[in-house]
Amino acid sequence: MDLPSALQKLSTFRARNTRASQETFDKGLVVLKGNGLKKLGDESWSFLEQLALAAIDVGRLDIADRCLQLLTDKFPGSPRLDCLHGIRKEVTESPAAVLLYYGKLLQADPVNVALWKRKISVLRRIGRIDEAVAELIELLDTFYTDVEGWLELVDMYCSVHQYISSLQSLSHVLLLAPQNPFHVLRFAETAYTAGDIPLAMKSFLNVIDMADADEDAPAEQVPSGFTIRAWFGIKQCACRLQRERITSPSQTAVPEHVQLFDELATERLKTVYAGRDKSDKEATEVLEWLARV
Amino acid sequence: MSNNAVSLYLDPQIRDWVLFPITLVMILVGILRHYVVILLQSPPKKLPRAAIREQRALVRSQILRTTSTNSPIPESFYKSISQNLSQAFEAGTYLKDGPPKADAPSTPPNPLSDPNAMDGMMAGMKTQMVMMVPQMIIMGWINFFFQGFVLIKLPFPLTLGFKSMLQRGIETPDMDVRWVSSLSWYFLNFFGLNGLYRLILGGDNAADASRDMASPFAAGVPQAPGQAQDYSKLLKAEKDNLELAEGLYSWVGKDVEQRVLRRYGKLPPS
Repeated sequence: MDLPSALQKLSTFRARNTRASQETFDKGLVVLKGNGLKKLGDESWSFLEQLALAAIDVGRLDIADRCLQLLTDKFPGSPRLDCLHGIRKEVTESPAAVLLYYGKLLQADPVNVALWKRKISVLRRIGRIDEAVAELIELLDTFYTDVEGWLELVDMYCSVHQYISSLQSLSHVLLLAPQNPFHVLRFAETAYTAGDIPLAMKSFLNVIDMADADEDAPAEQVPSGFTIRAWFGIKQCACRLQRERITSPSQTAVPEHVQLFDELATERLKTVYAGRDKSDKEATEVLEWLARV
Repeated sequence: MSNNAVSLYLDPQIRDWVLFPITLVMILVGILRHYVVILLQSPPKKLPRAAIREQRALVRSQILRTTSTNSPIPESFYKSISQNLSQAFEAGTYLKDGPPKADAPSTPPNPLSDPNAMDGMMAGMKTQMVMMVPQMIIMGWINFFFQGFVLIKLPFPLTLGFKSMLQRGIETPDMDVRWVSSLSWYFLNFFGLNGLYRLILGGDNAADASRDMASPFAAGVPQAPGQAQDYSKLLKAEKDNLELAEGLYSWVGKDVEQRVLRRYGKLPPS
C-alpha cells in the first residue's frame, strides 16, 4: 500500500469519525514506517491521536505508547492527552486505579467533558450503573445539548429495564435532534417495551410520517430500511390494540382507525416480502406470520 | 503652476534613507507586535461547572420552546419538562451562587469588583498598549526627522480631494496631488499593510494596528466586560416564555393517523 492513498483514507476516517480500528492501524503503520509524519505537517498530531486510539483498540500497545510518547513530547500537560493516557491506562490498569486517575484530573478541571465521559464509561463497564447514571445526569444537567450523552443515558436505563426513565431521556434526545427518524423509532420501540402501546403506535406512525414526507406516492414505493421496522411496529401495536384492553401510562389517546392500520401495515409488509424468492426463509416466515395474526 | 510639478526632482537618497526605512520599520513593528500580543495573551479562563450550568440554563428552555408548536414529544413528557424548568427558574436552582436570599440587595454587581471581569479588561488594555506605544514612537520619529519630506510620486493622477490625505504635513496649495508626504506615507502604510501581514503571518494575526483603531477596547475581549448578566432576571423572564410556549403546544403525532392514512389513500383527502 502506498503512502498517499493511506494518508487519504486516514484523513477521511478522521473527518467522519470512523472507528475502523484494524484498517486505521494497518494504514497508520504504513504512514509511521514510511516517514509520513513529516509529510503531514501540522496534521501529524491528530494522525498520531487517531493511530494511538486504533492501536489500543487492536491491542498493539507498543505502537500506542510510541504515539503517546511523541504526543507528550509535543504537548506536555494537554487535557486532550490526559484523556488519551486515561484510555491507555484503562487497558492495563485496574478500574479503581483508572477511576482514581480520572477523579484527580476532574478535580483539577471539573469541566473537561471528555474525561468526565471516560469516567462514566469506566463506571458503567465495571457495573456501577447507579453511579454512572448519577454522574451522567450531572453532566447532562450542565451540558444539556450533548445528544450522545443523552443516548448513552437512554441505553443505560434500558440496560437496567428502566424503560420509563429511558423514555424520558429519549424525549430530550427528540427535542435536541427532532429531524432524526432513528431517534423517533427508538422512542417508539422503547414505548412498546415499556407497555405504552398507544404511545408506541403514534410514534411508529410519526416515523412513517417523517420518512415519506417528501414522497409523492408512498403507496407505490416498497418500504426499506428503518421504515420496515416501523411497519412491523405498527402491525404489532395494531394487533395488540385490537385484542387487549390497553391503558397508556402517558395518557396518550388510543389511535383511531386501528383496523385500517392493521390492514395497511400488513399490505406494506407484504410488498416488502412477497417479491422475494421462495427459498428466502425469512420472507416465508414473515408472510406466514402476517397471515396468522 | 500645477503643470510644472514635473520639475520637482527627488533625491534618490530620500528613497533609500527615508521611504524604504519607514516602510520596513512599520512592517517589522507589525510583526513584532504580532508576537508580543501572542506572548501577552493569557489562556482563556476556565469557567467553573456552576457558571457553565447557569449560562446554559436558558438554552434548555429555548430548545424546548422552539419546537413547541409542533413538538416531537408527547404532552405528558412536554409538560413535565416544561414545569420542571419553570419551577427551577422560579426557585433559582440554576443560579451559580444558588437560590437568591430574600434580603439580598438586588443591584447588579459592579463589574470592576469582579476579578474575572478585571482580567478581561486588563488583557484588552495590554494589547492596546502594545499597539499604541510603537505607533506613537514611529510617528514621533517621522515627525521629528522627516517633517515636510516629499517621498514618492504616485504613478497615476488624482483629484484635489486627496490632497489632505496624501500631503499631510506640507502646507502647499499648488503642489500636484500625486506627491506623497512622509506623514501621509506613514498613514498609508498604517492602514494598508494588513494584506501584507496576512501574507506573512497568516489569517488572524495581531499585527494590523488599524483594526484596533476601529474598535478600541473591543480588542482581545470577546464580550463587553462591563455587562455582567443578571441571570436571575433572565431566568424569571424565560419562565413567562415557557408558559406561553406551553399554551401553544401541540404534539406532532396528534393527528398523524389521518396524515398517514390519507397519504396511503385509505382515507379520502380532506
